[in-house]
Amino acid sequence: MSNQNDLKTEVKKAPEVHISSYKDHFSTLMALLLLTFITVAISVFGADLRSLSVFTALLIATVKVIVVAYYFMHLKYDKKLYTWLLVIVVILFVSFTVLTSIEYLNR
Amino acid sequence: MTSKAMSLSYLQGKNGIFSWIFSLDHKRIALLYLYSILTFFIAGATLGVLMRLELLNPGRDIMEAQTYNQVFTMHGVIMIFLFIIPSIPAIFGNFFLPIMLGTDDVSFPRLNLLSWWIYIIGAIMALSTLLWGDGPADTGWTFYAPYSVKTGTNVTMAVLAAFVLGFATILTGLNFIVTIHRLRTPGMTFLKMPLFAWALYATSWIQLLATPIIGITLLMITAERVFGVGLFDPSIGGDPILYQHLFWIYSHPAVYIMALPAFGIISEILPTFANRTIFGYKAIAFSSLAIAFVGYFVWGHHMFTAGMSGTARVIFSVMTFLVAIPTSVKVFNWVATLYKGSINVQPPLLYALAFIFQFMIGGLTGVVLGALAADIHLHDTHFVVGHFHYVMFGGTGFALFGALHYWYPKMWGRMYNKLVANIAFVFLFVGFNMLYFPMLVLGLMGMPRRYYDYLPEFHVPNMISTYGSWILATGLLLMFGNLIAGAWRKREPIGRNYWKTGITLEWQTLSPPPVSNFDRMPVLPKNGPYDYDNKPEIEE
Amino acid sequence: MEHVSGFSLPNSGHNRDAEASKMGMWLFLFTEILLFGGLFIVYMVYRSLNPEAFLMASFELNVWMGTTNTVVLLVSSMTIAMSITAIQKGNRKLSIQLMVLTLVAAVIFMVIKYFEWSAKIEHGLFPGQAVYDNLPPGESLFFFLYFFMTGLHVFHIIIGSIVIGFAIHRTAKGRTTKEKYTLTENAGLLWHLVDLIWIYLFPLFYLIH
Repeated sequence: MSNQNDLKTEVKKAPEVHISSYKDHFSTLMALLLLTFITVAISVFGADLRSLSVFTALLIATVKVIVVAYYFMHLKYDKKLYTWLLVIVVILFVSFTVLTSIEYLNR
Repeated sequence: MTSKAMSLSYLQGKNGIFSWIFSLDHKRIALLYLYSILTFFIAGATLGVLMRLELLNPGRDIMEAQTYNQVFTMHGVIMIFLFIIPSIPAIFGNFFLPIMLGTDDVSFPRLNLLSWWIYIIGAIMALSTLLWGDGPADTGWTFYAPYSVKTGTNVTMAVLAAFVLGFATILTGLNFIVTIHRLRTPGMTFLKMPLFAWALYATSWIQLLATPIIGITLLMITAERVFGVGLFDPSIGGDPILYQHLFWIYSHPAVYIMALPAFGIISEILPTFANRTIFGYKAIAFSSLAIAFVGYFVWGHHMFTAGMSGTARVIFSVMTFLVAIPTSVKVFNWVATLYKGSINVQPPLLYALAFIFQFMIGGLTGVVLGALAADIHLHDTHFVVGHFHYVMFGGTGFALFGALHYWYPKMWGRMYNKLVANIAFVFLFVGFNMLYFPMLVLGLMGMPRRYYDYLPEFHVPNMISTYGSWILATGLLLMFGNLIAGAWRKREPIGRNYWKTGITLEWQTLSPPPVSNFDRMPVLPKNGPYDYDNKPEIEE
Repeated sequence: MEHVSGFSLPNSGHNRDAEASKMGMWLFLFTEILLFGGLFIVYMVYRSLNPEAFLMASFELNVWMGTTNTVVLLVSSMTIAMSITAIQKGNRKLSIQLMVLTLVAAVIFMVIKYFEWSAKIEHGLFPGQAVYDNLPPGESLFFFLYFFMTGLHVFHIIIGSIVIGFAIHRTAKGRTTKEKYTLTENAGLLWHLVDLIWIYLFPLFYLIH
């Protein structure tokens, strides 16, 4: 019984918090703007790559999302649990998409 | 020396209606859910009895076809959205999860209260459809497009009600996940959590992740009804089957929201009445997660005859067979728990045993339906109706009744009449099986579901089924009457561990619990939550 | 007369727990991913069934307005992230200013959206209007999805702005501090979600080709 009382003080002590600098955030924005520029450029100027450009646009969008999540939303510095949960949720959603696509593509 | 004299129970203290409906105490919120959910259950059951009256004989008995369509729709909407989905998590999860974890509330008590209010608002919205216009929806609780978009009945209000109710579900799931992650008592790792907590954890993830999909789907139906054209209209290039995909992507995981907490209840009741540790704790814990996970990928088995591609049908059929495996793991482990246990036959155990028997039938008939060739014959017949009532009612419903009888002395510090409880159980068990087993037969014979009339060759099983519904209804009245009457039974105070053999933390505190759940620090058994070899000595 | 038990648990659910609040916010964001996800599935199915129609319909959209909106939201993500840095460093005033800038970006976004929508409504392209009703099949699906998805997105911008408003208020009143800035952090997470959704909406509607 004393074990549990000793653990009392360990409950929810404040962890060391990483503080992203203003410069970090600005660099992140620059990276995102660059990726946006590339996406638009491919779409507007790379006309003949039509079907490839859907895939490329979504791929770049995914990279942007990862950048926002990792840096702006602080996942890089938070407990790994959050990243894992996000990954599982995304996998879940992707599998809904894939299964539904399989259904439609095989009609 | 205990601080018992200083601990007001949660039932005492502030009184008056406002101290209840604005209470932040998870135990009071649990009772708010209990009373509202059981009220809606009675309403839904009444509709069921009316349906059975209509089906007593072929042809018109007591209502027109259109009314029958509305009655079975309302029966489904009430039973599924107002009763089964919230029931065990909102009532027993709210009451006992914090106590079983050794803490004094959930992580977000105000969000918890908000969940109940949202639930009540959604319920009022759903029931309001009875009162105006062309009456309640007549689409079936599945609201399939295009009919749900075209019909003049109150579909819009019904789907918006379901949308609102979905929020309550999501917020409760969110609350439980954070509570389990953050508030376990020192020393209680995930693998030392009771199995009811594991069940609630898996359920909460389904509640959180699956419900938004139906939320958005119902909004799309609403948009289609409001703007006249929409996303499931073939004339503009839309596909009604897409609606079914979206609907079942939620509604299949939803049945695991219904089943998993019930499994958790059984895992709690059996060790207590076998007075020994649960067999295969880890297998049961992880099988809950496995069911939750695999259950996301089987939804197409509701659509085998809708016009899906052959490849998809095969994939969904295989996944459906797979999801049965972790469930059967549980059943084997439960039976093994009883083996060489010191069995104490009490009302909760009766319900748990009935659960195992009935859920087996329900689960196995589900596997039959998962077989593509069999489903061609059985889809949309009474076989399906029998199947899902066996799992949802014979399974989850009976688990709920078992939980009521198990935790009753803890929650109210009173006790019901056990003889009456046993008699009620017999009525319920006989009535239930008499009501639903004939449906399996009827389905195989070819009787469709959602039809208010039928061919003469289906008459006898239908009669048996209706008589069964009367026996079941009697059982329900006896059971509820007995439980309510227990409030007035005078007897000596109920101790901390009424059944003597309870081992999870709720059996260490007072009956009923104090406002802050415990009057002394809970003591964990050394080797896990069901460590009967090292059961802590708890003085009264 | 009330007696309160002298005993209290160390792991009380009534203690302040910033980590729990953050976890709760992330869980809520997961629900939003699935909510919009359902619409993305619908989009994907209908685009694959009606590829030419979606392409034709997308010419109604203005790439430069869409790109501007994308840039605006990305900048606003930076400002709200910076406002968290500011409060973590104890700089209340800068934190408020950066949150206000975020709101300004939100307003700009909505103004541009307003112009986009009114242009289309003028052209009769809203579901139920005359031109819409006479569109070839796939194209009407495109516009239905366009209005539904961007509309739902704007709804979340409004909610996100309100939450940021609360965070500004709390910071101004001194209840948000260097140690306790949960609301600002969670407002930021919600705002980033709004940004994330747009990051996918933009190429799917504006950059079909």
